[in-house]
Amino acid sequence: MSLRAAARVVLEKELRVELRTRELTQTILFFVLVVAGMFSFAFEPTAAESRRILPGLIWLAFFFAGTLMLQLTFVREQANDTLAALRLAPIDPFAIVLGKILANFAFLAVTEVIFVPVFSLFYNVGVGAVLGRLLLVLFLGTFGLAVVGTVFAAMTAQARMRELMLPLLLLPVLAPVLIAGVEATAALLQPDPSLPREWLALLGGSDVIFLTATWLLSGFLIEE
Amino acid sequence: MKNFWSILIAYLAAWAIFFGYYASVGRRLARLEAELRRLSDRAPKS
Amino acid sequence: MANGRWWRSAAVATAAALAITGYAIFMVAPTELTMREIQRIFYFHAAAGIAAYAAFFVSFLASIGYLAARQPEWDWLAVATAECGLMFCTVNLVSGPIWAKPVWGVWWTWDARLTLTFILELLYIAYLLLRSMVREPDRRATVSAAFGIFAFIDVPLSYFSIRWWRTEHPQPVLGGGPGSGLDPRMMQVFVLTILSLLALLILLARQRYRLEALRHRLSRLAMEAEAPPEAAWAKGATR
Repeated sequence: MSLRAAARVVLEKELRVELRTRELTQTILFFVLVVAGMFSFAFEPTAAESRRILPGLIWLAFFFAGTLMLQLTFVREQANDTLAALRLAPIDPFAIVLGKILANFAFLAVTEVIFVPVFSLFYNVGVGAVLGRLLLVLFLGTFGLAVVGTVFAAMTAQARMRELMLPLLLLPVLAPVLIAGVEATAALLQPDPSLPREWLALLGGSDVIFLTATWLLSGFLIEE
Repeated sequence: MKNFWSILIAYLAAWAIFFGYYASVGRRLARLEAELRRLSDRAPKS
Repeated sequence: MANGRWWRSAAVATAAALAITGYAIFMVAPTELTMREIQRIFYFHAAAGIAAYAAFFVSFLASIGYLAARQPEWDWLAVATAECGLMFCTVNLVSGPIWAKPVWGVWWTWDARLTLTFILELLYIAYLLLRSMVREPDRRATVSAAFGIFAFIDVPLSYFSIRWWRTEHPQPVLGGGPGSGLDPRMMQVFVLTILSLLALLILLARQRYRLEALRHRLSRLAMEAEAPPEAAWAKGATR
């Protein structure tokens, strides 16, 4: 079975599991809603302040939501030890990881499409004119989050205190993605919007580098 | 000497970290060596 | 044992080199004109940073070595150099603010190099934490090698992101443009400091490597002797 076909089967399986219960997406949507409200209570921003802090808020909210959700990627498999069955399948281990990365990316992307307008509404910052570019930046950053997060979830699946470990491992590694994402978003929300090429290159470059490392390492991480 | 205390503190802190680390590794080594002796005394002589 | 004697004389030589370095920093190196005496922190501060990068790089190579060869020795080298690198990184992070306060007027600023060192520190603390949370030795070695590789390839990405974000730190004295650079006497003292700190790094890493090797041997022995799980090695083995 080719890598593409195998990854697709895994992706379909993940989506099917999620569509059956919708527990991940529901929880994450509610989590982001809570965070959006809490940030407002904590900062009480004026219009000018909103424009300044909103990029950071959006990224932090999605990063924290992502770490919570990614945690479950491999834990879900443990209940019935279904990972052992996946491992026995005659497919490249990278296909398993890739399928899960794409599924996690899909869940996060859905959350972002729903929540960018909500953030815009709550904080009175118009995003209509730059919506396409904003989603591009968000998706590039989220893809990096999904790649590294899925790999680290595989790493910590058997660790003690894994719920605490994942954010501790993930957030420092994702610091460049966070910086690039926030800066690119901030440039887009200026009254005179622009999309600096270096941040876009950094986001895309991180995605490529992390995905390459994942491709090289997934064989070691999926084994028993 | 201007900023004498700053320099002194910086150097003392650096050396405290190095020696503290060296001592901590040494302590852990000594404990393991004692444990090794205890275990090999208990293990059946072969 | 000849090996042991060799290392003991290396330790004595390193101690002597460090003493000479200390003398050179305060007595031989000329006083910097604008920053005055406080600049004497620079030698240690920058050399510790260089040693930390060297240690993390060796740890990265050892992580690759472990995944390629599956020999536990690579894992011992990776953890020994990561932990020692973290110590040098801490020295760099502690001495930095003490220098910055009189010169810049603030203890800390989120400038490029400070931020990068801070992220490095976080990455390798996370590395050691991860190790302490995985019990099974082979799994621990594999997982931490993978994380070590991710952490190190993150360094250039962080470097670029932070450099575009902000820059305030004194420009590099080595390999900067024309006009940058050190007085030749200062340069000699700086190179001496780098060399003696690298020697110290090797000594500390070797000691830490021995500790890890002993741990490995003990856990083998204990398994054979079927020691009760509350034995001391079980508590130590995860740290």
